[in-house]
Amino acid sequence: MRTTRTTTLALAGLLIAATATGCGSAVTTSSAGTKANDFYAQIAGLPKDQQVAKATEVARTEGDTLSLYTSMTSDVATPVTQAFEKKYGIKVNVFRGTSETVLQRTLQEVQAGKAGADALETNFAELMALADNDFLADFNGAALDKVDSTAKFPQWTATRLNVFQPAWNTDLVKPADEPHSWEDLALPKYKGKLTLEVSDSDWYANVTKYWLDHGKSQAEVDSLWQDIAANSKVAKGHVTMMQFLSAGQSAIQAMNYTYITDHAIAAGAPVTHLPRSGVSKIPAFPRPNGVAMVKNAQRPASAWLFYHFMLTDGQKELVKLKLTPSTKVPGDKSLQGITLVPFDVEGVSRDAAHWDKKYDALLRSAGKSGK
Amino acid sequence: MSLTSTTTATRDDGPASRPGPEHRFRRKGPVHRLLRLIRRPLSLQGLLVGATVIVVGYLALVPLGYLIHDTFLSADGSGVSLDAFARAYGGDSHAGEMMLNSLWFAIGSAALALLLGTVLAYVQVRTDTPFKGLFFAASLVPLIVPGILYTTAWIFLADPSTGLLNSLLFTPLFGSSPLNIYSIWGMIWVQGLHLAPVAFLLMVAAFRAMDPSLEESAAMSGAGRLTVLRRITMPLLRPAMISSALLMFIQSLESFEVPGLLGLQNGIYVFTSRIYFVLRSYPIDYGAAGAYAIGLLVIAVIGVLLSSWLQRSSRNYQTVGGKAFRPRPVELGRARAFVGAGVILYFLVTVILPVGVLVYASLLKYYAAPTRETLGRLTLDNYRAVFTQPFALTALKNSLVLGVGAATVVMLLASIVAWVVLRTKAPGRRILDLLAFTPIVIPGLVLGLALAFVYLRMPLPVYGTLLILLISYCTRYLPYGMRYASSAMAQMSPELEESAAVSGASWFQTFRRVLLPLMSGGILAGWVYILIVSFRELSSTILLYSPGKEVLSVLIWEQFENGQFTTLAALGVCMVTLLVLLVAIAYRLGARFGLQSDSAN
Repeated sequence: MRTTRTTTLALAGLLIAATATGCGSAVTTSSAGTKANDFYAQIAGLPKDQQVAKATEVARTEGDTLSLYTSMTSDVATPVTQAFEKKYGIKVNVFRGTSETVLQRTLQEVQAGKAGADALETNFAELMALADNDFLADFNGAALDKVDSTAKFPQWTATRLNVFQPAWNTDLVKPADEPHSWEDLALPKYKGKLTLEVSDSDWYANVTKYWLDHGKSQAEVDSLWQDIAANSKVAKGHVTMMQFLSAGQSAIQAMNYTYITDHAIAAGAPVTHLPRSGVSKIPAFPRPNGVAMVKNAQRPASAWLFYHFMLTDGQKELVKLKLTPSTKVPGDKSLQGITLVPFDVEGVSRDAAHWDKKYDALLRSAGKSGK
Repeated sequence: MSLTSTTTATRDDGPASRPGPEHRFRRKGPVHRLLRLIRRPLSLQGLLVGATVIVVGYLALVPLGYLIHDTFLSADGSGVSLDAFARAYGGDSHAGEMMLNSLWFAIGSAALALLLGTVLAYVQVRTDTPFKGLFFAASLVPLIVPGILYTTAWIFLADPSTGLLNSLLFTPLFGSSPLNIYSIWGMIWVQGLHLAPVAFLLMVAAFRAMDPSLEESAAMSGAGRLTVLRRITMPLLRPAMISSALLMFIQSLESFEVPGLLGLQNGIYVFTSRIYFVLRSYPIDYGAAGAYAIGLLVIAVIGVLLSSWLQRSSRNYQTVGGKAFRPRPVELGRARAFVGAGVILYFLVTVILPVGVLVYASLLKYYAAPTRETLGRLTLDNYRAVFTQPFALTALKNSLVLGVGAATVVMLLASIVAWVVLRTKAPGRRILDLLAFTPIVIPGLVLGLALAFVYLRMPLPVYGTLLILLISYCTRYLPYGMRYASSAMAQMSPELEESAAVSGASWFQTFRRVLLPLMSGGILAGWVYILIVSFRELSSTILLYSPGKEVLSVLIWEQFENGQFTTLAALGVCMVTLLVLLVAIAYRLGARFGLQSDSAN
């Protein structure tokens, strides 16, 4: 019995000890918050040619590290952050997630008063949501001068573009059958050959607006979509779809991102998003991904430098990776043969629920009706 | 602390049970009772059971509370409302049709998995079939392969136009391509095969713990082999069968991997496709997501209640009693060759074919059907990419730590909770049973959000460490551990504990030296299951992991996002190899510590 009692006491002691140690290490970050916002105000007030030097100087006091939350895929995030580390001597801790998880994690942390991220690099919709809540800090560095006005937004700036185009398997679609417009996808010859992705409501929104703005009536637009849906099957995941397109299990994808198609081409897969002529007339919608600094960040100077980097040297890294940068960079061939048209950032973010619902309803008629 | 009053262990381990002071207290009536009340929770049994109940309740209530709060609180935060249910089930949401698809899919998959798992377990444990060693590891492979890879492998095999089985086997031989993976049957097939190991693990443990003397008596009384199987063997296995059916049914109801990849093609929408859409939009409609999860919860609660009702006369299943027994294998005789052939055929279809496709894909730069040309281009580049990936070793180490940790913690907690639920008359034990089952319906992302919410506000160093992942995995897999532990416990007769008590063993000694060893088959099965699935867990991991603390599932997801399917296949092949090895080691160690082995039969 004595052993039992000793064990009991030991257990109880352990429990108390564990609780005590836990409580001892409470973290408070509110002071870091004001410090960060002071820094953002200070650097915004400096002449533009002194900002980089100031940020570099303050970054030294921040421990030469940066916490970045991003939805860049690892094959992009790794070289980009390595280039940043090399240039500024600041080590980057990368949290990689889907754009939704980047948003949710940032929201949770900011609301709890413990910002874990200093800088963000993710999809426009999630940055818009954070900016709407005023969780991001303003940037006014000289790097913005090279950025087109359509790529600048309150509290964030576009860094790279995911371009919307159809993609097809060149073994299964002969040059005579290549699509030359979004309208072509409604043609009866594509019956059963087309694939729609289940979450592409932003593409649906942009094409619909483009058609309405270019003289089509709502009835004509609806009828085109009905015919496209009738031609289609539904799949989930752009990457998965490209795999099946490469393997010849599907013939055409109504929309995939050109960089995914380009990667498959680089691996030798028989796919393309350009017709044999090399020039596509299909209006290409560039969906922006952007960079932002988090308010109340623990390392605001490093965040500022990363923002600056992503719009300057980082742009060259993106080109090396065959991505589409948001600024003009010599040697960028990612838009060759592509006809860019504006992407409706404001409209898609404002009415996301509406477009989701309409696109969902359309998908439910996929493959069912039609001529 | 009435939780500790039990049918078997009514004596007290605390100091109060010593004869001297006991007399003194007894004279003083009410004071004595009060002291007993205070002291009993301080006994080892009281502390252990009390702490377990608190931990399990805490694990389950955190995400449940988060979910219910968001579901029933009206949007303006002013009061309780049912709007979320209207948004989720009403209007143009096709809830009825989706529910039917979901039910059909879940029932079909659970039934197929239960049938396959039970037959395999029977053949493995109770017959003298050849290839037993190979059999066990191979049975687990479909569980080890990540769902996205297993499903994709089946698409490459059974796509109606280009699937290898159709184009290389059926078209040349029969002139038609009958297999269509994009149908409800295809979905049930893939999900059923993927889940069969859950049933297999549970049923193997159950068969091993079954006293064959009952079957022998039936046979002596003139019952045929089939009658014995139908009237004796099957009824005795009811707790394990109900447990696995319940687990697999709920898991199929909430899975979106298979329906997402196979069902959407032909417009087969399931219930979870709604949760998927709700969770990926911004702002997340937590209310609607919660309303869907609560729909699942209702079904799960009915399932748990039904299973305890079906097991109400518990004595009927207690096959492990005071008498020694040794399950004796059925001699198959002439049927041995046929059973052996059947076993080989099963593995050819469920393991060799899909894993073969993965191995083939892992040697290519992009997937293409095998031709002379593609076969000439095979390369090991993908394996090189896997091994040179940054964090590969850290991730492997973290996954191992988490997998082993979660499996051990959950099985310990579950064994004690199963004891409380099945062996005591404690009030609230049924609620405890239900509570431990609720995490199964909580979507991974919601669990992640709930944990982040709590630990960001708690002054404990949990957020941003591996510990938060461990808590998440323990919560997610608690329901599975519970089913494994309680079906093992249900097979054990209390007379064993009673004899231990009579011989003077304390509660803790009885638990450690009698119950745990006898339940070890079921516990090890649950342990292996949790180890395997925690290697794959992504939906809460992706929100909760921290830079530098990556795990394997995050790496898998990254490869997938990079579009490197063939590299992903290479990673999958490595995982299968590693986990098969781990499982083999676990069972080898188990055998050393007295776990019954079938190989000697």
